[in-house]
Amino acid sequence: MTHWPKSYPLAFVIALLALLPVGVLFALAQDSAQLFDTHNLRVLGNTVSLMALTIVGAVIIGVPLAFFTAYVQLPFKRFWLIVLAAPLALPSYIGAFAMYFSFGRGGEIENVLGITTPPISGLWGSALVMSLYTYPFVMMTTRASLLSLDASLVNAARTLGLSLAASLWRVVLPRVVNSVAAGALLAALYALSDFGTPAIMGLDTFTRVIFVEYNAFGLSQAAMLSLQLMVIVALILFVESRIGGASERPGKHLSLFPAAWQRNLMLLSAMPIVFMAIILPLGIFTLWLVREGTGGFELSYAWNSAHASFLAAIVAVLLAIPVAHAAIAGKAGRFMERITYFGFGVPGIVMGTALVYVGLQLPVLYQTLGLLVMAYVLRFLPLAVGSVRATAENIDSGLVKAARVLGASPREAFVRITLPLTLRGMIAGAALVFLEAMRELPATLMLGPTGFETLATYMWRVYEAGYFGRAAVPGLLLVLLSGLGLVLMLSGERKAQFTVTEDDRS
Amino acid sequence: MQRRTFLQGLAAAGVLGSMPFGFANAITQASSVSVDSLPKLEGDLTLYLGRGEGGLYENVLEAIKKRNPKLNLKIRRGGSAALANTIVAETRAGVKRADLFWAVDTGSIGVVTDAGAAKSLPVDLTAQLKDGFQYSSWSPVTGRVRTLPYNTQRVSPDQIPDSIMALADTDLAIGWAPAYASFQSFVTAMRILEGEKATENWLKGINKNAKKYAGELGVVMGVERGEVDIGFANHYYTLRLKSGKPDANVDLAYTKNDAGCLVNASGIVALSDGDLPVNFIRYLLTQEVQSYLASEAYEIPLVQNVAQPQGLASLDTLSPPQMDLRKLADLRPTLNLMRKVGVL
Repeated sequence: MTHWPKSYPLAFVIALLALLPVGVLFALAQDSAQLFDTHNLRVLGNTVSLMALTIVGAVIIGVPLAFFTAYVQLPFKRFWLIVLAAPLALPSYIGAFAMYFSFGRGGEIENVLGITTPPISGLWGSALVMSLYTYPFVMMTTRASLLSLDASLVNAARTLGLSLAASLWRVVLPRVVNSVAAGALLAALYALSDFGTPAIMGLDTFTRVIFVEYNAFGLSQAAMLSLQLMVIVALILFVESRIGGASERPGKHLSLFPAAWQRNLMLLSAMPIVFMAIILPLGIFTLWLVREGTGGFELSYAWNSAHASFLAAIVAVLLAIPVAHAAIAGKAGRFMERITYFGFGVPGIVMGTALVYVGLQLPVLYQTLGLLVMAYVLRFLPLAVGSVRATAENIDSGLVKAARVLGASPREAFVRITLPLTLRGMIAGAALVFLEAMRELPATLMLGPTGFETLATYMWRVYEAGYFGRAAVPGLLLVLLSGLGLVLMLSGERKAQFTVTEDDRS
Repeated sequence: MQRRTFLQGLAAAGVLGSMPFGFANAITQASSVSVDSLPKLEGDLTLYLGRGEGGLYENVLEAIKKRNPKLNLKIRRGGSAALANTIVAETRAGVKRADLFWAVDTGSIGVVTDAGAAKSLPVDLTAQLKDGFQYSSWSPVTGRVRTLPYNTQRVSPDQIPDSIMALADTDLAIGWAPAYASFQSFVTAMRILEGEKATENWLKGINKNAKKYAGELGVVMGVERGEVDIGFANHYYTLRLKSGKPDANVDLAYTKNDAGCLVNASGIVALSDGDLPVNFIRYLLTQEVQSYLASEAYEIPLVQNVAQPQGLASLDTLSPPQMDLRKLADLRPTLNLMRKVGVL
């Protein structure tokens, strides 16, 4: 470790790249008239409330599930993990849409079962949907961190007379706070940048106002509003960076073997979440599929989706490695890492517009798959950075030092020690980027090659035309393909886990 | 299935072309052009297809492609405003990708023509369109009327005023979608026709009894479910809903000679020179395409002598206000007004 960490120059370039869209926004906002008006205050209030409620919801659901999936031994463990992570495979607008059509007077639930349910809409409706689709961020980051904790501390607390619950609360939880915060950060940024859910639920948030402005050809006003949104993003990033946890050596895993009834009770209490987030939307789709049939769908859309998302996942992880290492190496690196998080808070339509302007400066790139992949990477890079950093942070630096003492070059130490140990984070990060890119819509519409149709764009097309039934097949395929990504992510996790520690109990 | 009917229609038109003149004429009723009389399209053509709301445009494009195998048609889809912004950015940067821009709202068309990106159209093409819909730099394709869908269980037609301005004084429960592009165009029309002050008061009056929806399909569904008595929406949502659910509790009311029955249009702009883009537009103005969009998508044909969609009052009995539709691109004051009143 000399004065300037090797990862800095690369991380610096990537951070500059991430600032590119913000720069374009500044340029676009130049000829804007209004900076702020009273109306914006209400929008700001809605946006912040939605974000806060989303964080609360995602943490309340995500953290217990992280403990459950990390520590509790139960049959079909992997299956349950996949089921509980599955909301990642569904775009939240699909969930919002399904819930909007299911609940309330004249909804599908009433049509099928004859029971009238209260409608889900407004701030609470949006927050519910957002929580249901962002808790996996919290669950996955927290779980990854829980798995790398040393269980002997819990054992010590137990022998000293603390109950299990109390020792989880007082001994384990404080050590994973930064992972919970990392997940909550992603949930917050998602809530800030998502357009579909508040629009369907009828809530005025920044993204919705930006969208309205954008459609009224107030491009500069939309850019100005996006910059205001960026300020909130920056605040969130700052708050999150203040929350720090101690790093420690990995050790033996904690495993809990509760009685069958306790296990089932825990599973049962997770079921409403699974029902609302997964079964309901899939059920609605199936209902529509049966009712209206399918038509006009081509398998190439699925290939396009998977192809572009896969490329984005690979590129994002490659870029995430130097950024994550820079973040660990020092304060300046940490700052560069924070900058890359801006992309996740930029609404897709704004990112799309910004990159149209960038692309037009480089006509070779314009309307190519390359530019689209770049947009995905800029938007979803933080997902990869977060995962890679979380695992890299937990590496015992003694291992690298030992390798160096034994004569390995820094490069060899990286390839043989650091890289295998962070593989889990890389795979998880790649999968997260893949899942997000699969469900991305506005930037895909604006930046893809002409005629490039993905599952998400096709669903949008038929939804716009009012043929909900035709959204069923691509919707189900999107979930299936994303599900495959999810399985890959979780199986990669297991492999990596095996190499990280000798403990292969899970 | 709908696509097949249309394809058969196009094929049948070919057969009809060889039939006695009088018979073919009886079918097409005088002057609208049949697809059969048009030149074949050949070569590369890029179309930006902008939509904020749906239609059966895809089927039309598919049929045109089938009929012209040598046409290499590339389509970029997106929101109308997003594509209009893209075209403006492309024009400024001198990067040319689109030959045609087909948009659902005239506001987007206005932005593109204002940016000087549109090529003028030949007179014989614009002459095919109905009076009041002839423009030199763009061609309307189909129209939609602003209507008042109402719940037939909760309201009787005589409770509904025939002036849009008077609706603000009733105590009917109203459904609306202020964030929706078509609604904003309608308010823009009201602003131009009635003035700022009257529009502001109207918005305030309506806002007292109003429930917000995300889009106008939602408004019509809300009216049908009985969540509100009456709503503001483009006509076709109601007709489409009724075609899928004939016993739906919703029907259409129209106002007279004000923004409440504004006829707005989807339109197409040629962005590059040459015959190919213009001839492509001619296809959209044929008897076959126009009546297909009328019967399947319930859009209003704007070419002369093509029949109206079923279930809609005929364009002759409606009394839409007269105005240059591109003026509707002037959305900024409308948004400021709506924001001032607190409805957006």
